[in-house]
Amino acid sequence: MVKIYNDYKDRADFLTVYVREAHPTDEWQMKSNVKEDVCYAQPKTLEQRVAIAKDFVERQKYPLPFGIDDMNNAADLAYSAWPERLYVIDEHGQIAYAGGMGPFNYDPEEVRAWLTKRFGPATQTSSMEPAAKAAGMH
Amino acid sequence: MSRFSKWTLGSMLALLVIAFAGLSFMAGSPKDVYWMVRYAFPHMHRGKLRLGDDAPDVKLLALDGSNHFHLRERTGGKPLVVVFGSYT
Repeated sequence: MVKIYNDYKDRADFLTVYVREAHPTDEWQMKSNVKEDVCYAQPKTLEQRVAIAKDFVERQKYPLPFGIDDMNNAADLAYSAWPERLYVIDEHGQIAYAGGMGPFNYDPEEVRAWLTKRFGPATQTSSMEPAAKAAGMH
Repeated sequence: MSRFSKWTLGSMLALLVIAFAGLSFMAGSPKDVYWMVRYAFPHMHRGKLRLGDDAPDVKLLALDGSNHFHLRERTGGKPLVVVFGSYT
């Protein structure tokens, strides 16, 4: 997703929305997260959510603009977002692309295809971001 | 119990066992199946937004932990790619 951001950030806006954790230590933890030392309990307060979001951005050097869902999970519920999902909203505020539910139907390449169809293929080569393989939000 | 009922019950049990074994294989272990049912299924939604629907507005907290903004404040100029996710 970071590579797509670098390729199209001049032509489209981007926003990452942090929603409730998918595999926290006190729920369905994944071995891969233990291996990568990504171990957090499910936040019970907004401050805890902010702390994890900050960790993510700092550790992954994640460049996309960022917002955090509230503790009522309003964004998650409105967009059926959990555990991860992608959308494109057009200039009129309408859904132009609605991705499938992650992780199996989370497909950044579909977003790239939408952007390519709209703006043409990426022109710049973006090898400058080491965080291209960011965990979690890809 | 009639022979038909026994067969029906037996088949259903066999299907349940096969489904559980299949899920265990997919999820990693029988324990993962329990966690998936307990913690993942209640939060998974197929998604009701369709192409052309108005994008719902939601209030979000900025990364600084104090300022809020609305998702729809970010639309209207260029197309907006929205990435929902978490760290784990």
